[in-house]
Amino acid sequence: MIWEVASRIEVWPRFLFPAPSEVLQTLLQGFADRTFIFGILASLRRILLGYSISLIAGVLLGLGISRNKFIAETIGSLILGLQTLPSICWLPLALLWFGLNESAIIFVVVMGALLSITTATESGIKNAPPLLIKAGQNMGARGPRLLFEVIIPAALPSIITGMKQGWSFAWRSLMAGELLYGSVGLGNLLTVGRELNDMSQVLAVMLIIIIIGLCADYLVFTRLERGMRRRWGFEAS
Amino acid sequence: MIDLPTPAPGLIPKLSLRNVSKNFHTKTGKFNAVQDINLEVHEGEFLCIVGPSGCGKSTVLNIIAGLEKPDGGQALVNGKPILSPGTDRVVIFQELALFPWLSVLKNVEFGLRMAGVGRKEREEKALHFLKMVHLTRFSHSYVHELSGGMKQRVALARALAIDPEILLMDEPFAALDAQTRDILHEELQEIWAATRKTIIFVTHNVREAACLGNRVLVFSTHPGRIKREFEIDYARPRHLEDPNLITFAKNILAELKAEVEKVAQEELDYDWRTGKKKLVLRAGDHDLGSGI
Repeated sequence: MIWEVASRIEVWPRFLFPAPSEVLQTLLQGFADRTFIFGILASLRRILLGYSISLIAGVLLGLGISRNKFIAETIGSLILGLQTLPSICWLPLALLWFGLNESAIIFVVVMGALLSITTATESGIKNAPPLLIKAGQNMGARGPRLLFEVIIPAALPSIITGMKQGWSFAWRSLMAGELLYGSVGLGNLLTVGRELNDMSQVLAVMLIIIIIGLCADYLVFTRLERGMRRRWGFEAS
Repeated sequence: MIDLPTPAPGLIPKLSLRNVSKNFHTKTGKFNAVQDINLEVHEGEFLCIVGPSGCGKSTVLNIIAGLEKPDGGQALVNGKPILSPGTDRVVIFQELALFPWLSVLKNVEFGLRMAGVGRKEREEKALHFLKMVHLTRFSHSYVHELSGGMKQRVALARALAIDPEILLMDEPFAALDAQTRDILHEELQEIWAATRKTIIFVTHNVREAACLGNRVLVFSTHPGRIKREFEIDYARPRHLEDPNLITFAKNILAELKAEVEKVAQEELDYDWRTGKKKLVLRAGDHDLGSGI
């Protein structure tokens, strides 16, 4: 309401501060002519691909670091150092490695999520209660079965936290990547909006980004986390 | 691997420890957790081990389970050395170590699943043992939804489902209230009578030991050694309050008292040692040695 009124009485110039009704109109129009739909699909495709890669690689790396001393001493300490680097800083390197294409941007997404999933997996496994591992061994679980049936389930609370954090890092990395460089995509729509001085498009796309972020967080990760917490008895049901 | 000729059953003990020793290294140096333990346990025995805290009774259990390796001596099951954990010897830990990510039924099935038992068969078996501990109604609950006594029952069912030859119990009832413990004492005796498992039961509760065991070993501390052995030749089912059993318990307690005082001498402040304070222990002291 306040936004609408402030915009109508033109506190700031209209083209810099559009009314919500205008934003809504742009939103509808964007969906009608499919530009937003293509943008959303392109971004979702990138994040799903990049996130899946980092999920698999992150869990494997975390496993390797926690189970193997050599890997821990080499890659483990490297990862700590790399964590301080915002993932978008990988873009120039990725552009040189992969060229100006999809792979470069997916690489940045992967780097965004990879490290937090790796460290969460590693700490989850390191903190898996020794007693549960003993009990598993005692009941005949050996080698990979001990790993997959006891150690990883015991580490799951930590891994899920890392997955959630990794997702939000991946999403941010993707947006930053698309802003700087991009063919179709949400970040690219933002850039186009800015270049055309179309503030209502910028705001509309921002809204979409927020909504997708919230949906993923709520529908996927919060559910996952809640299901796990209820099962383990961390929260009263 | 060479197959040794198996002697006639009954000749070799189910379990034997020969001069078993185990050291731990701490900041203050090496200390002997257990030293020169010689022990034979026969099939179907119910052996209780009592001793003050820190006497190495849990260490002995872990060595039998194969979770720890002795520094000296030999541990044999059916005449063969113990090299690793095996499903012929299952431990029920004091903290139970149930898996919080599995339902009660899946917890009981776990050992069977590891052994490669088919889905249908393991579910049947698991339900059978859940029935034995009267928990079928809760088979689909998760562990945190159960009370302490119920968790204990799940742990028991989970261990029995693996069908071990030796059941190792490490102060399993220590955290339970007295009433629940009484019920579980009765049921454990029933299960023992029905399954004829060899049970080694570690406790610091003298009356519990006298009530459950055919044989009670008193451990001394620093280093952990077997100090004395008691035969409890008394009809079953036994009950904790049975006056005859309390007589047994008194004898065991007399043996244990000296040990508990020794621990106190070593651990407590100077004023306790010089204050001519003597422990007055009653047979009813449940948690002897744990709070010192």
